[in-house]
Amino acid sequence: MIQVNGLYKSFGPVAALRGVTFSAPNGRITGLIGPNGAGKTTALRVLYTILRPDLGSASVDGYDTMAAALQVQRRIGALPDSHGLYPRLTARENIRYYGRLHNQSGEALERNIEALIKLLDMQDIADRRAEGFSQGQRVKTAIARALVHQPQNILLDEPAGGLDVLSTRAMRAFIRRLRDEGRCMLFSSHIMQEVSTLCDNIIVLARGQVVATGTPDELRQMSHQANLEDALVAVIGSEEGLTR
Amino acid sequence: MMGRIWTVFAKEVMDNVRDRRTLGASLFYPLLGPALIALIFAVLGRTVLQQSERPLSLAVVGAENAPGLIQFLQQNDVEIRPAPANPEAEVRAGNYSVILIIPAGYGEDLRADRPATVRLVADRSRQSASVTVSRARSLLEAYSRQIGSLRLRARGINPVVVEALAIEGIDVSTPESQAAGLLNITPYFIVFSIFIGGMYLAIDTTSGERERGSLEPLLINPVARWELVLGKLGATLVFIMVAVIETLIGFAVVLSFLQSSFGVRLELHLLTLIYIFLIAFPIMPLAAALEVAIAAFTRSAKEAQNYISFFTIIPALPGMFLALVPVKTELWAMLMPTFGQQLLINQVLRGESVLPLNAIVSAIVTLLAGLIFMFVAARLYEREQILFGR
Repeated sequence: MIQVNGLYKSFGPVAALRGVTFSAPNGRITGLIGPNGAGKTTALRVLYTILRPDLGSASVDGYDTMAAALQVQRRIGALPDSHGLYPRLTARENIRYYGRLHNQSGEALERNIEALIKLLDMQDIADRRAEGFSQGQRVKTAIARALVHQPQNILLDEPAGGLDVLSTRAMRAFIRRLRDEGRCMLFSSHIMQEVSTLCDNIIVLARGQVVATGTPDELRQMSHQANLEDALVAVIGSEEGLTR
Repeated sequence: MMGRIWTVFAKEVMDNVRDRRTLGASLFYPLLGPALIALIFAVLGRTVLQQSERPLSLAVVGAENAPGLIQFLQQNDVEIRPAPANPEAEVRAGNYSVILIIPAGYGEDLRADRPATVRLVADRSRQSASVTVSRARSLLEAYSRQIGSLRLRARGINPVVVEALAIEGIDVSTPESQAAGLLNITPYFIVFSIFIGGMYLAIDTTSGERERGSLEPLLINPVARWELVLGKLGATLVFIMVAVIETLIGFAVVLSFLQSSFGVRLELHLLTLIYIFLIAFPIMPLAAALEVAIAAFTRSAKEAQNYISFFTIIPALPGMFLALVPVKTELWAMLMPTFGQQLLINQVLRGESVLPLNAIVSAIVTLLAGLIFMFVAARLYEREQILFGR
């Protein structure tokens, strides 16, 4: 369960967030869509505790991201905008490192790692060094290490970026599966098709503000458009920075 | 807490041991100092040897006043030549290394059993002449002893009675006097190893982490920033310690080689090596913390490397100074991290005893400075700019 209240955040003269409020409940896939530069990554970075908001607050399962950062970090798994691996470590070692940082160890940790490797279908690369991984293999490894502690809340920043069709499909199935386990799924994207096929709830972000929220049906009704993608373009006011 | 610090530490050590470039550089640079010393000795040592093997050519004023002495010198492979008109000016000009003056009253004094004066004109500031000067001086002293013993025997006294001390020949041979000056740079190379040994790791674990894009996900883990910093510092410290041990072993090997081939009497026993390591140890956390702080502050790995290289040169400056002007090991010098340790290591190398107060003060001051930089590094990691650099 994620709650964001009136977030403001500026970088020098650039106002990235200008009063952003939204929530993402458990057992639902919530999509954060908006053109590039709308503030999606900044909002997620506040949620996963690495940026301090100038104003407003964000909480995960009731824990404030500033006051109780460690509690929040224990309850989230995140695939941030940059999700570099350690190239000299194997996929399994990359995942194990994060498991240990979450105070997991021994057989329980190895079981979790093995389960994720199976689930993400990455047995073939598990014991290879990450050096030569393809984009898809990198994303899979980054997701596996983010989920090794079985977090209740999962935040994914553009998870499908650079994935081929097959990997994208597998990724979607994976996200739905996590939703069905009752987890709170929040992901950001500038790809309208991805949001429309996957999301239970949509938050539309533009120029650092929430311009619309609702289920896909509600958004279509609100903008009098039969097609969700047209509806998104209508509420944002421009197609610039979006991908269909 | 300890578990998480250990996790970060163990991962960084393993990760960087696998990096051949970091490992290669970390293992190569510490050998620079010993290699340089070996090279200098190989070049310089040969010229010194050549000087002492060549027959000594000595210009003498008034050779006719002391036929006995001249004969003694000739028996000892000295080639006697006539001296120029103005001995002092000629020596000062560097045309002669040394000129022996035997005054007219020499023979009379000698016969009357009075100390007979001979003058040795030399220029002490001229390093290249020192071999010749000391050979001439020791030959004169030998002759003096020989005459003295003869006089005692003539009076029925065993000459041994005047030798109150039996001075064992601690060989103040010429290559060593040249060696001592060069060994002054040894302490600096130990400090150099400390800084260079940690540099690659500090940069890789902070700037490198940022440039690979692995810093952002790392910071999302439930690990306090200071715990991350301590883990990374620990890994840097291990690499520094390996570098220093390597340098010390390198010096020990080079010196023992020099001893066998050039007669340089400067041994590094295991105990001495451990002693030097302990004296140098407080600099290691300081260097590690300084380097991690710089890497956390700068925008890129390249920028970090520039700054750190600069900081690697700073401790060299007092060291260079030390090589030229001998500084007494006093308490004020112990207040300067890296400088104090260089003086202390120099003392150990020269076989002088180190005042415990000096060692303790220098250790405490340096460790405190290290603590301050650790704090700075942790604070730099707390800032959100850590993600973007500066």
